[in-house]
This record gives sequence, C-alpha cells and structure tokens, in this order.
Amino acid sequence: MAVDMSMPVLVVDDYQTMIRIIRNLLTQLGFHNIEEAKDGRQALEKMQGSKFGLVISDWNMEPMTGFELLQQVRASETLKATPFIMITAESKTENVIAAKKAGVNNYIVKPFNAETLKGKIKAVLGDF
Amino acid sequence: MSAAEAVTQKVSAKSAAEKIKIAIDTLKASGVRERPLVEVLDLSHQMADAMKTFFGSLDRSIIGEFRYIADFIQKARDEISGLQANDIKDSRIPGASMELDAVVRDTERATETIMSEAEGLMNANPADLKIYKAEVDAAMLRIFEACSFQDLTGQRVNKVIATLRHIEERVSQFAGALGVTDTAQPVSAADQRAKDQLLNGPAINGPSTTQEDIDALFA
Repeated sequence: MAVDMSMPVLVVDDYQTMIRIIRNLLTQLGFHNIEEAKDGRQALEKMQGSKFGLVISDWNMEPMTGFELLQQVRASETLKATPFIMITAESKTENVIAAKKAGVNNYIVKPFNAETLKGKIKAVLGDF
Repeated sequence: MSAAEAVTQKVSAKSAAEKIKIAIDTLKASGVRERPLVEVLDLSHQMADAMKTFFGSLDRSIIGEFRYIADFIQKARDEISGLQANDIKDSRIPGASMELDAVVRDTERATETIMSEAEGLMNANPADLKIYKAEVDAAMLRIFEACSFQDLTGQRVNKVIATLRHIEERVSQFAGALGVTDTAQPVSAADQRAKDQLLNGPAINGPSTTQEDIDALFA
C-alpha cells in the first residue's frame, strides 16, 4: 500500500535548527503535513490530541527524553502502534539496543544525510 | 597557634618548671616551719618535678613533627596562593564562558544565514535562467561570507582550551604538592538521571556505533 504523503509527521527535537533540517528533508521527500515539538513532554501532549502517522524524535531532551517518549508511546493503548524513528547523537550500542527493546522502529545516528532518512522512512512505512 | 610557636612555648614551659623548682628549694632552705606551708611546698615540689618530667619527655621526634606540620602548612599556603583561585574565578572562567557564548551565537547566526539562503534557493524560480543564476550566485556569496564564522570560532575555542589547560596545570600542581586523593562522592540527581536515561552525548571522533552496524541490528 502506498504511503499517504499527507499524513501528519511529528518531529521532536530541542534544537530548532535540527527541526528545520528534518522539516526541509521531509518536504523534499514529499511530506507536507509536518508538526514539531521541542521535547518528549510536548510531543506526548500533541500525540494525545491528534493522530500522527510517524514520529521522528531526538533522544537527548529535557524535561522528557526521546527514550522516555518512546516508552510512554509504547505503553499507551491508543498510541503504541505509531511508527517511531529515533534520530540522535547517542551512538553507543547500549542506546541502540535499549531503544530497540523499547520498541523503536528504526534508529538514525547523527550526523545523517537525506538518503539515510529516506531509507529508514521507507523501511518503516514502505515505498513512496 | 603555629607549630613553631608550640615548640617555643614547650621550651619556655620546661625552663619555667626549672625556675619553679629552684624557687621552692630556695623557700624550703629559708627555714619555713609552719606545717601547712611546708606541705604546700612539698606538693609544689612534686608538681614541678612532674612538669619537668612531662616536658622533658617531649623528645626531638615530636619537635620534628611540629616542624613538619609547620612546613606543610607553609607549603599549602604557598600552593593555595600559587593556585590563583581568585584570578581563575573572577577572570579566566568568566572569560572562557563569554568566549563559548560567542561561539554559540556566531554558529547560530551562520547556520541561520546558510539555511535561509539554501531554503531561498530551493524555492527560487528557474523559469528565467539569467535571473535564476544571479540569485544563485548572490546566495552562494552570502553562504561563503557566513562560513567565515569558522575562523573566529576556532580562535575563540583555542582561548577556552588555553584557559582549561591553565586551570588543569594549577590544580594538578596543587593536588600533587599536597598529596590530595579523590574521595567517593554521592551521585547527583542530574548524573543519576543521565545514567538512567543513557545520556552519553556525542562520541569524540564520530559515532561509536556506525549507521551500518545499527542497520544490522534492525535487519
């Protein structure tokens, strides 16, 4: 089934520049319904208010980290099926394994390029 | 009281005991016959003997210990003075902090310029190639100009590194001179949270796990 390019995508990062980079890359890929949150708590509030087709989140944020957001999403009956990609500078194997165990769909280590982002979104959502 | 003063006082007390004993002997020899006074004199004599024995027992090794402590304290005072803690606190650390603030500000400004130019180019209309090329050329020049921040930030970061090295040298010298060793400290709430949340931050020299290795875990 083709990916619905109008589905809402939530980008979570505490650095506005990184949100802007991801937003531009997603726009280039054809996604145009993009929302943003500056940390896990704000992201969770937005997710409880509306349904997102994909969450792309940083790890290292306060007051709620991306890892905590992932755990909360997977623990929620209504949110647990949301595709979740982590984009982070946390590159230790223990981080990747912890995220995988918590239910992340894919993991991108910073710095990354457009091709990597496109590849991971395809791996999670299917071809578009 | 300093160790040196303690040694001086000990010598004085010893000679004082000698003088008391001599005084009592003199009193006794003067023919005092009232019994209570004689008893007092006898007690005083015993006390003077005891004092003499006590202070005499403070041998040279104890004097040496006092001298060692006095020297150590003097050395510590010299090292603390050499640490130049006030210079570090009032000048060097605030200076380094201002440099880092400037690095963040310059980097943000340059990033903003470069991204805005790139976004502008992505939205530029290529219908008229002459106008489009002029827009691209102008945007590229502004991007080159923005990249000059790297020279300034490099110089600023070098100043911060010099400050950190200065502090490192002073603290190492201080710790070495006084034989300071680290003691276990309670883990702060922030450190514990960082540990629980696996907040390690970016690795030096690139990611510690490559994207290829991560992909293999998700294959």
